[in-house]
Amino acid sequence: MDIVLQQIVNAISLGGIYALLALGLAVVFSIVSLINFAHGELMTVAGYGMFFAAAVSLPFPFAVCAAVLFAVIAALLTERFAFRPMRKADATGLLLTSFAVSAILRVIFQNGISARPKPVPLPSGFAGVIDLGVLHVGIVPLLSIVMTALSLVALTLFLNRTTLGKAMRAAAEDFQVLRLMGIKANRVIAVAFAVSGALAGIAAVLWIAQRGSVDPLMGFVPVLKAFVAAVIGGLGSLTGAVAGGFALGILEVLFQAFLPDAALPFRDAFVLGFVILILIWRPDGLIPAPAARRS
Amino acid sequence: MLPWTGVPPRAWTSALLLIAGVGGLALAVSLAFGNTGVNIATLALLQVAAVLALAAFSGNSGIVSFGHSAFMGIGAYVFGVLAMPRDIQASALPNLPQWLQGHQLSLVAALLVVVAVGLVAGILSGFPLARLSTGSAAIGTLAFLIIIHVTLIGARDFTRGSQTFYGVPRLTTVYVAFVAAALFILIARILKETPLGLRLRAARENEVAAAASGVDVRLSRRKGWAVSIAMSVLVGALYGSFLGAFSPKDFYFDLIFTLVAMLIVGGMLTVSGAVAGTVLLAGVVQILRQAETGIDFGSFHIPGIFGLPQLGMGLALLLTIWRRPLGLLGLREIGPDWPRRKLEPMPAKALHTAPAGAPLEVANITMRFGGLVALDDISFSVPCRQVTGLIGPNGAGKTTLINIICGQTRPTLGRIVIGGADMTGEAPHRVAVAGLGRTFQNIRLFDRMTALENVTIAALSKSHDAATARRIALAELARLGLAGRAEDLAGSFAYGDRRRLEIARALALEPKFLLLDEPAAGMNPAETDALIRVLESIRSEHEIGLLVVEHDMRLIMRLSDRMVVLNKGQKIAEGTPQEIRGDPKVIEAYIGTKRSRH
Repeated sequence: MDIVLQQIVNAISLGGIYALLALGLAVVFSIVSLINFAHGELMTVAGYGMFFAAAVSLPFPFAVCAAVLFAVIAALLTERFAFRPMRKADATGLLLTSFAVSAILRVIFQNGISARPKPVPLPSGFAGVIDLGVLHVGIVPLLSIVMTALSLVALTLFLNRTTLGKAMRAAAEDFQVLRLMGIKANRVIAVAFAVSGALAGIAAVLWIAQRGSVDPLMGFVPVLKAFVAAVIGGLGSLTGAVAGGFALGILEVLFQAFLPDAALPFRDAFVLGFVILILIWRPDGLIPAPAARRS
Repeated sequence: MLPWTGVPPRAWTSALLLIAGVGGLALAVSLAFGNTGVNIATLALLQVAAVLALAAFSGNSGIVSFGHSAFMGIGAYVFGVLAMPRDIQASALPNLPQWLQGHQLSLVAALLVVVAVGLVAGILSGFPLARLSTGSAAIGTLAFLIIIHVTLIGARDFTRGSQTFYGVPRLTTVYVAFVAAALFILIARILKETPLGLRLRAARENEVAAAASGVDVRLSRRKGWAVSIAMSVLVGALYGSFLGAFSPKDFYFDLIFTLVAMLIVGGMLTVSGAVAGTVLLAGVVQILRQAETGIDFGSFHIPGIFGLPQLGMGLALLLTIWRRPLGLLGLREIGPDWPRRKLEPMPAKALHTAPAGAPLEVANITMRFGGLVALDDISFSVPCRQVTGLIGPNGAGKTTLINIICGQTRPTLGRIVIGGADMTGEAPHRVAVAGLGRTFQNIRLFDRMTALENVTIAALSKSHDAATARRIALAELARLGLAGRAEDLAGSFAYGDRRRLEIARALALEPKFLLLDEPAAGMNPAETDALIRVLESIRSEHEIGLLVVEHDMRLIMRLSDRMVVLNKGQKIAEGTPQEIRGDPKVIEAYIGTKRSRH
């Protein structure tokens, strides 16, 4: 019983990080059809934000704010200087743009900061465990779950209660109509990137809380997973991204727990193989994005 | 029928020019820089082959693949295990299963096995991939990259895991690399002109229109993917044999980034572009690699930048997408634009000789979206040799009904019967082949293909050989008055010509029925008159039933033998134009009555 609950906590905390990242990808994709390869570099920037904050001995909560701020600024800068000039390109062109941006940013990190991991000091309490009756939950997974939940609630409120948020949801449905209503396209797109950056920043904090360091390639693996999560959920669908993120997290934890030892090195292959089965069953994802298909 | 029959001569000449160019450059570099030069040339030739393997799928289908580098890895490891000398194998791979031990195959024998493995891998992985939409498919290839990478690292007994795999005989000389590059240039260039290449490119330009022209998009993508993957696995084997020692990370992200950058910078729509981009970036990377450790000008030292080649390729990629989205060479293949051997259009008599048969029947079609009834028990039939007009105000359900007839949507209830065959819920390309040609309200052409290619694709769907299909296409172009523009790109056509080209394409399917979705939309009265003449000639010359959906009352009243009127998902009237004109229900639906104006 204990182990099962333990694994559920792990699955939710890991799935939460994937969900935040996939949501960040989906927010941008739903509006400008960009599959943003450079999303991982936003995480890395956030990580360096924490590193610099710690270097000037700011307390941890400020380091978290710095991480989110850095990622938002980086997202806005890539939008302004890389993606906006390419707005006329098709989806493939945009994807390749982000591919190039990601490669360039990595080289900049390697030369401008360091190719080696930089330590990010974490509050000493992070190593602790909380006892909830039968359940021993690590502080970090618990924080992950709480942060993920808060972020999702905040984003939902933003999208449903504010004018800008409503404009963004409308943009995801039909961007052309929204422009006809007199909403400024650049502003909606910039906000989408800012939201996506903020989500990447929060995910970076949670990711670093587990490993305590940041390096130029840090964002690569989690964002690969987030791509997969976004596709399982349905590319461009916001609820789908969250569902896909949790589905992937659960799958990974399940395979980790139940695969025989000999097969463990192949875990990701099994997980992705299973994902491919899901996609054969539902090619448009679990919760497909609304697509107005008139011929 | 050989796959290369019907390939235009200019394809052969451009391929030969590219081979000569690549060979000449390789020779020059080898002569100029000695042993280093030979190495550089060999690597560049392998990169040409690898990029063309990628282009065979990505260029034709428009779906960028990030998985190809990993499939190259499969080739390298399979080749390594098969070709490795017995004694080295015993120490490097002590746990190798018995059946793989000690083969020590020759280059050719090992490559044959590798190609077979590549085909199997390509066929299997193509199934899930072909089901995904373009954006998701790109991510799907990324999943392949990770799956294969993880598997190569995990399969320690075969691959030594993430450790270096060594002892692979270095059989890839510069000559072998040149043969591979030359062969792949030829294959890639010819593939583009084969029926498979035409179908892949059509689906790239417009997936819905391709299906409506009878192209099985998924099947085409599966075939294209399998060919492309087999090529990749083969070149991977040669690359492995060139390196001699490698590890899984040599076939991971950096490699695919390089290949994709090379493909895009030159232009992925042409083979010439793919080759030019590869040669250009291979040169740039060589120079940047020299500079990576820093440069000394006497006492003055420029510090090195780690990752300079990646930086250079990234910037080249950005610059290309920004300034030349189609790549350096755009849409043109190099070489003289020789006119192809003149083909006589198929004589009109030979076309469409099928006897007038059963009608197209819409039987009790009901469509519900959740609680909304979009179509409620609609029935009518479209007889052969007659024009049936379908009208209705906005929101009447016309588009939904068209989508159901064409197989894009499966109805909740009811059947669609085309010429006696039940086609309910069949895929659009099957419906097209079964005898329903169509045009689209917002014209859908294959813009970056010639008019002749546009129409030929539809003719090929009726299982004609390439030459016959082209003759049929020429005849249809002539019928619509477009014969002089056969070799022009469809994207360059003016509005009225685009409409006519779309009709020509639909007719090349030799359909029993032709569905025209608002053919006069956006036309001025003169153009509409011209269209009416065309439609009337089609009707008199073909054994064909027309279903015309239209807002233009003048056109539809003049053209139709019978009319069907939809309103709010229900059929409210059916009859001759005269009957419809006087039907109070129709007048109410269109103009409204005092009572219905709240």
